[in-house]
Amino acid sequence: MPSSQTPPAGATALDPTAVRPDIADARIFRVTPAEIRATLEILKSDGFTMLLDVGGADYPGREPRFDVVYHLVKIAASARTVAAVGTPERVRVLCGVPESDLVVPSIADLWPAANWAEREVFDLFGIRFDGHPDLRRIQMPADWEGHPLRKDYPLRGPARERAPRPNFALKSNVAAGTPASGRTAAALQKQIAAARGQAVPATPSGTDDTK
Amino acid sequence: MSAGAIAAGLDIVESSENRMVLSMGPQHPSTHGVLQVVTEIEGETVMKAEPEIGYLHTGIEKSAENLFWTQASTVIERMDYLSPLSNACCYIMGVEKLLGITDQIPVRARQARVLLCELHRIASHCVWLGTGGIDLGAISGFFYAFDLREKILDLTELSGGARMHPNYLRIGGLRDDLPQGFLDRLDALIEMYPRRMRELRNLLQANPILQDRMIDVGILSADDALAWGITGPALRASGVPYDVRRAFPYLGYEQYEFDVITRTEGDAYARFIVRLEEMDQSMRIIKQVRKQLEMPGPVMIDDTKYAAPPKETIALSMEALIHHFKIVSEGFRVPPGDVYQAIEGPRGELGYYIVSNGDNRPWRVRTRPPSMYNLQVLKKIAVGELIADMVVMIGSLDPVFGEVDR
Repeated sequence: MPSSQTPPAGATALDPTAVRPDIADARIFRVTPAEIRATLEILKSDGFTMLLDVGGADYPGREPRFDVVYHLVKIAASARTVAAVGTPERVRVLCGVPESDLVVPSIADLWPAANWAEREVFDLFGIRFDGHPDLRRIQMPADWEGHPLRKDYPLRGPARERAPRPNFALKSNVAAGTPASGRTAAALQKQIAAARGQAVPATPSGTDDTK
Repeated sequence: MSAGAIAAGLDIVESSENRMVLSMGPQHPSTHGVLQVVTEIEGETVMKAEPEIGYLHTGIEKSAENLFWTQASTVIERMDYLSPLSNACCYIMGVEKLLGITDQIPVRARQARVLLCELHRIASHCVWLGTGGIDLGAISGFFYAFDLREKILDLTELSGGARMHPNYLRIGGLRDDLPQGFLDRLDALIEMYPRRMRELRNLLQANPILQDRMIDVGILSADDALAWGITGPALRASGVPYDVRRAFPYLGYEQYEFDVITRTEGDAYARFIVRLEEMDQSMRIIKQVRKQLEMPGPVMIDDTKYAAPPKETIALSMEALIHHFKIVSEGFRVPPGDVYQAIEGPRGELGYYIVSNGDNRPWRVRTRPPSMYNLQVLKKIAVGELIADMVVMIGSLDPVFGEVDR
């Protein structure tokens, strides 16, 4: 294994899921929104009775930009013993959604579990689910603007976002002249001297900030 | 507020003279947090119920994307605040899988994780048992249950320094070894547990009023449970013995003896019994781990890329100082990829879908929140029940809103 401190060659890849190491945690399919319903219908008739989760992920700059991720597990409703459940098979379906057409067919009619999960993806990523019975925001208030889990959405929200902090070089009055507060070392010395009633120390002309 | 305004955006309307829209919560004491259930009732019968969530949304997943890998477990612990260590444990195991260091985690660290997860399962079920009893008017059980939980929180405090969110687990192992005296306190808990459970069972399980309130309320069939994504005790109460600890063993769960408790009735009482029995099974596991913990050993991976070197070495070794500085100031990088890690939390299959792009911060941490899926089924099981039984059904699904809303 390469050292974790040096990112592998694919580290800047826009699609981390394409360069994933060999972790056998599930069978993985990658489909388009047009195929997603057919794929999931086949999986459902194949015995994947349980839809565990529907989530989203945002990869700005990649095409398609968003992923909707479906996790399925194969458990028979008739299983009544631990041995009958065994180690069920897991499947992960990644559905790439382009930014130009943020619509995915809803599967809330196949698995009622998808109802809230799809609403959450809609709320936090802005991906619409075609045919969803009740597509409203679920976590954020109904009148909220924007979709917080998108990568271009600021952490503290657009209203609260501060101006970026000046970097260290700009803060230093040596590099960038007198700061707005005027509290350079020379100015402080003048204040101290004035308070003590002493003569104001002469400052070299180059650093005199009163000019 | 008029009923119409409450139900704005919902398809719940007062369709006839006999129907009334009743909004329950979000400040209702029996909703276990901030849940609003907008119901359409005819007389006392619920015709339609629509849970409204999101009142406790704190953007934990977004926060986690902006923290180092190790720091992120601090906020992730706060999702399911009744069993914080299960959340941290699941996330950390996911990251370890991405790093490829799962096999290198010291045995003692795994045992301690199992111990703490099982302790927190009991603590979480204690809260469910106590507050669930209060919902039905059985107040005294609450104090017995919370007394037991307090003993477990004392142990948590001993391990990590904080009662509820100790931030004790680390990527690569544990922050520190279990302190001296921990095992003695654990022995005291193991000794007092059977007596305390006997009292609780006498107070609650044997109580005919509670039985009457719970039997045949909120029935959920196995087929429906699977279709609605129900996991954990609620699924097992419907007869499907799916337990992640048995189906996908992690942390060495395959070596511990315990039974997967199931019932077939699928009603609130079945869920009640399954959780009670599960507490005993957790105690069985704890006793087995207790024996293993006699053996001392390392608790953190021996790799300075992930584990900060011991504090004492910093003054002596330049290398140790550099590693310490790097880990604290910029964390470590995780190879790109995605992983889904699941554990059996107190409420069901708790999963984390973690994506790394090779940076020192997670790209995406998606939680599979068991209590959100479990709560969603209220739409189905509440129909046709009495409005007074709504609190029984909410209690039997055991949602925790830190996790539902995240």
